[in-house]
Amino acid sequence: MSPMKLCVPGERLCSTEDCIPGNGTYLRHGSIFASLAGYVLRKNEGEELPVISVVRETEAQLLPDVGAIVTCKVTSINPRFAKVHILYVGSTPLKDRFRGTIRREDVRATEKDKVETYKSFRPGDIVLAKVISLGDVQSNYLLTTAENELGVVVAHSEAGAQMVPISWCEMQCPRTHAKEFRKVARVQPEYLQA
Amino acid sequence: MAAVQVSEAEKVYIMHGVRDDLRLDGRGCEDYRHMEIETDVVSNTDGSAKISLGHTDVLVGVKAEIGKPRAMVPDEGYLEFFVDCSANATPEFEGRGGEELGVELSNTLYKVFNNRHSVDLRSLCICPGENCWVLYVDVLLLQCDGNLFDAISIAIKAALFNTRIPKVHISEDEEGVKEIELSDDPYDCMRLNVENVPCIVTLCKVGHRHVVDATLQEKACSVASLLISVTHRGTVTCVRKMGGGSLDPESIFEMTEAGKRVGKALHAPLMELLQKEESLGKKRQKVGFLG
Amino acid sequence: MAGLELLSDQGYRLDGRKATELRKVQARTSVFAQADGSAYLEQGNTKALAVVYGPHETRGSRSKSLHDRAVINCQFSMATFSTAERKRRPHGDRKSSEMSLHLKQTFEAAVLTELYPRSQIDIYVKILQADGGNYSACVNAATLALVDAGIPMRDYVCACTAGFVEDTPLADLCHAEESGGGTSLALALLPRSGNIALLQMDARLHQDHLDALIEAAMTACKGLSKVLDDVVRQHLEEVSVLTRD
Repeated sequence: MSPMKLCVPGERLCSTEDCIPGNGTYLRHGSIFASLAGYVLRKNEGEELPVISVVRETEAQLLPDVGAIVTCKVTSINPRFAKVHILYVGSTPLKDRFRGTIRREDVRATEKDKVETYKSFRPGDIVLAKVISLGDVQSNYLLTTAENELGVVVAHSEAGAQMVPISWCEMQCPRTHAKEFRKVARVQPEYLQA
Repeated sequence: MAAVQVSEAEKVYIMHGVRDDLRLDGRGCEDYRHMEIETDVVSNTDGSAKISLGHTDVLVGVKAEIGKPRAMVPDEGYLEFFVDCSANATPEFEGRGGEELGVELSNTLYKVFNNRHSVDLRSLCICPGENCWVLYVDVLLLQCDGNLFDAISIAIKAALFNTRIPKVHISEDEEGVKEIELSDDPYDCMRLNVENVPCIVTLCKVGHRHVVDATLQEKACSVASLLISVTHRGTVTCVRKMGGGSLDPESIFEMTEAGKRVGKALHAPLMELLQKEESLGKKRQKVGFLG
Repeated sequence: MAGLELLSDQGYRLDGRKATELRKVQARTSVFAQADGSAYLEQGNTKALAVVYGPHETRGSRSKSLHDRAVINCQFSMATFSTAERKRRPHGDRKSSEMSLHLKQTFEAAVLTELYPRSQIDIYVKILQADGGNYSACVNAATLALVDAGIPMRDYVCACTAGFVEDTPLADLCHAEESGGGTSLALALLPRSGNIALLQMDARLHQDHLDALIEAAMTACKGLSKVLDDVVRQHLEEVSVLTRD
């Protein structure tokens, strides 16, 4: 690989006619400038102009964006919504926890008004959810689990053992064999043992 | 202290490791992390020291000022401590967030250091009952990764060793009013005898064993810890139990013995290092944070 | 201070520098491993330490967050042993709050905050030793820390002070020159575009001299930006050598 060029914030990389600005760059007066300190990467994406971006060794902090699948931990529930702490965005762990809310009507796709949060989540559960909104002044990130692949992934029973999912709405404790209600995420077929 | 979240599985892993005398970074239960000490880093002060113990960074500055001695002990000077938990360590310390921890740390430091057995307070006296030297010891916490007390105490010892107090001449004029003159020569100064200054050793109880120099993760697995201040002779000057859990007397005795051993072993290499640094004199390259 | 001239007849200042000469600048980034970005900078005898955390969720009340931009939160504090006379309170006094506000204003002009809506970027600066040019050292150290943290910025922000004595502009004032009672101008500049992020001047000055003073400060800032640039490039090369196969 040819040695990559170093760049620092504010350095002019090229003009808008040569490339499309990518990550780590910004436009000003018809030229593309770097906004990070790192290496310049030019990637050819087919017939269009190459995308120019700046890469760093260490990834900067990622923020949850609309449409991203996030892994979160339930902190408290009440009849109208469940409050969660967002721990991972995709597969990148976050350094600092972000707060999110899963409203009652966003738990399931069907029979939204018959949902009881107590029977869908419990504090301490690990949940896969999708971000639907960044929220406004009062609220936190709004999340939804209204898809088959979203919902509770790991939950502990009242006896303290990790439960096994048996259907989309029930999980069973291996120790006491008691069944508890949760909105369970469907396991991807590639993770099931044949 | 800035807390770190540790999951159940991690806790079990750490406790099993400690049981077999193997910690997360490969150390034994009574080993310290890599320590770097440098004195005379800040030139505005009369003495300063910087220590980094793993990821814990502490900067201590000592300033000597003339003040009035306390009424009960008119022929002794005294030390004043101030611990500043800066926001650099963690954003929770912004504004007044770090005050609570700072007050707790400085109260413990008063108990350990501000007595005549640790520091020769009589040498700080200028005029009994009227003037004495007050040493303001300011501790600045820059990075926090567990084991703050140990790092602070070693830094204080190094800073006190490095402190140069200007010599004072007292002259009396005809009316009997005493005049204090500080000598202008920067090399004409008094040094403190830090032989008896103790070092604090914190032992955390993890499972059934205790560990020295716990990181934040190990601290999250322990329920109680014991703080012992030990002099170079192995004498224990102050013992304090911290934390919410309870310890049974046997383990306290065990931990005290271990603390004495570890603490005694700290002093000799420290003094050797400080003497060596001092002997380099002007030729020494000051590194500070640039290295 | 009778008899001490700020500028001698031969053109030398109190510490032996010429009128437009800057003090020696040494800096290092990534000083602390636990913070997102950190830097240490020495400008003569002034030592500043800057630490950056973020971007992360808005701490405290959620109402402080902005819907389309990140909030920049700065805190300026001085170590109690940094000045010749011991300072009782490291932060919280009026001067520190004013400096924190200036820093916030400076960096809002440079950081691309539109990329991080509803989040907060914390910049904490600490002065370990104060010998004039506190604000400039803070800004320079904070710039390095932001670059180290990987937060996108339009350009470097370089700051410098300038003064005016007997029709000659002086660049990079030390403590004695600042407190001498003459003019003192603090300027924060984005070097490549030439835009000024912050301009502050105390004391009286004839308006004919203002241009010359600002020119002197801008030249000093451009010189400083070269030094900061070198430090960043050197650090990048060091890191890449370590991570390359």
